[in-house]
Amino acid sequence: MSLLELHDVHTFIEQFHILEGVTVEVPQGSIVALLGRNGAGKTTTLRTVLGLNPASSGKVIFDGVDITEQKSFDIAAMGIGYVPENRQIFAELSVEENLRIAERNKGDLAGKEEMIFGLFPDLKRLIRLPGTNLSGGQQQMLAVARALVANNRLLLIDEPSEGLAPVLIEQMMEAIRALSEHTTVLLVEQNFIVASRLAQHYAIIEEGRTVKAGEMGHLVEDEETVKRYLGAA
Amino acid sequence: MTSTALAQSTGLSGWLRRRRGLLGAIALLVAFPFIISIVIDGQGLAAVVNNDLGNARFLQGLAIEIFILGIYAISYDLILGVTGILSFGHAMFFAVGAYTFGIMLKSFELAWPVALLVVLVAAVLQAILFALVLPRVHGITYALVTLGFASVFWIVIQSSDLADYAGAEVGLQGVDAPVWFLDTTNERFIFYLICLAIFFGVYVLYQHIVDSPAGRVFVAIRENEDRALMLGYNTFWFKLLVLVIASITAALAGTIHTLHQPIVTPNVAGLFWTVTALLIILIGGMGTITGALIGAAVYRLLEYYLDKWFAGAAGLLIGAAYVLLVLYVPYGIVGTWRAKSLRIKEGRDRLLKLLTGGGGKEEPAAKE
Repeated sequence: MSLLELHDVHTFIEQFHILEGVTVEVPQGSIVALLGRNGAGKTTTLRTVLGLNPASSGKVIFDGVDITEQKSFDIAAMGIGYVPENRQIFAELSVEENLRIAERNKGDLAGKEEMIFGLFPDLKRLIRLPGTNLSGGQQQMLAVARALVANNRLLLIDEPSEGLAPVLIEQMMEAIRALSEHTTVLLVEQNFIVASRLAQHYAIIEEGRTVKAGEMGHLVEDEETVKRYLGAA
Repeated sequence: MTSTALAQSTGLSGWLRRRRGLLGAIALLVAFPFIISIVIDGQGLAAVVNNDLGNARFLQGLAIEIFILGIYAISYDLILGVTGILSFGHAMFFAVGAYTFGIMLKSFELAWPVALLVVLVAAVLQAILFALVLPRVHGITYALVTLGFASVFWIVIQSSDLADYAGAEVGLQGVDAPVWFLDTTNERFIFYLICLAIFFGVYVLYQHIVDSPAGRVFVAIRENEDRALMLGYNTFWFKLLVLVIASITAALAGTIHTLHQPIVTPNVAGLFWTVTALLIILIGGMGTITGALIGAAVYRLLEYYLDKWFAGAAGLLIGAAYVLLVLYVPYGIVGTWRAKSLRIKEGRDRLLKLLTGGGGKEEPAAKE
């Protein structure tokens, strides 16, 4: 059963037609990778799910509920967390405050503390530091950790490996694998190696349209498709 | 949360320790008129209580003006510095309080608590008015719309049709103190203490607000409103809350202004009065809350003493002082102090170590 479904979604940003027919299904309990070149519309797809760039036509269904025209804060409150690209943590808030602000109910953080600090032990050590003092990798960890605080059923993660050193990419992958045991993940990832090792399913977006989707195992063996749409083999 | 990572020291002793600077400042300001009376005026302690003429009485008046400016500026800091809402109509928040309170006392002869209640209602209504346009306009456009609101109010209070109430271009005058303890002329010291209590009461309240979960959302809105939305916060309600709190606070400053000044001029609704709040928080440190209070003191004292000493050239010197402050204290007094405090502390520790004979040996750097 799919937790999230996008059916022929079209999105405009100002006068520009960015998404021209995106169809994606995210099965419950899985990791789905949205693949595609720069500017294909992957991030806009995530922002459309969240209502930040609302769809002009098509349907976005979350857990059987049509959320196409819902407000961002209502969509988030339904249990969809977002880890944007470039981290976008709150730089002037401390690590603790960055985590606390994600609480939807009092005690959310207390209940998740063990899991979060288990996945990201560095954050426990840096708990009082302002976000701006963290390194890029630590900020990325904080951004993911923040999405884990509330009881999200779906996480949208945008380019988690971007700008990270190889050793940190491994750590981030471990964390995403671990958190996928608790929640479903829709992942945007330029790094095909990372995406193929994490996700069970994929959808390729090209010029705002879904051009191919299926099981990751099949895509890994299909070198021609990988080369054609992703420029990697 | 477990005790390990996020525990905080609580209890009265912890609170007193954290607040020792504040308590010291309050004690100093309570003692201030007596110190002036003895040291400068050569009078006794009774002169302060008896409201005798002298420097002590005059400087209490100047301090009350600083308290009014501080309360007004702190409300602007919540809107602009903490939440990032750019409003150019903030003077209206102050002026509505000043005029409403004065008119209710003078023209409608209401009891002062009822007049205060009317001010409260007016403050909430104007905050709602300022919030209504929030979903449609942002940034500089919002600033211009709010400037428009304030300009309309500025024109209305000067209209001849309302001259019987608001005094047209001259302003509102002849508002008598409604009760003895609010009489700045005859009970200066009592009024001074009341203003001092309100000043620090507002400050402590604002610090609690900014440190509260809602306060973290205010900061989040300033830093990245989209992110706050994505965390599930309906940011409109938080911004409305900020405007309501700030409007009530600024209106409170306006009511004190009406009680303290013999005349409330329409200038307090003009753009310059908003710029005054902006200057104060720039001097003190935007978004720091404490900076608004310190900025108010620096602003008013600079204005008063430069005017007193240099008369005609004062305007030029004040302008030059602001330019220098912005250039050399870029985050305001409190902001720059915080930014440099670690370095200052390191220097102080090194100096102490040298003086106590512990210098020369470098301790290994503490691991994070």
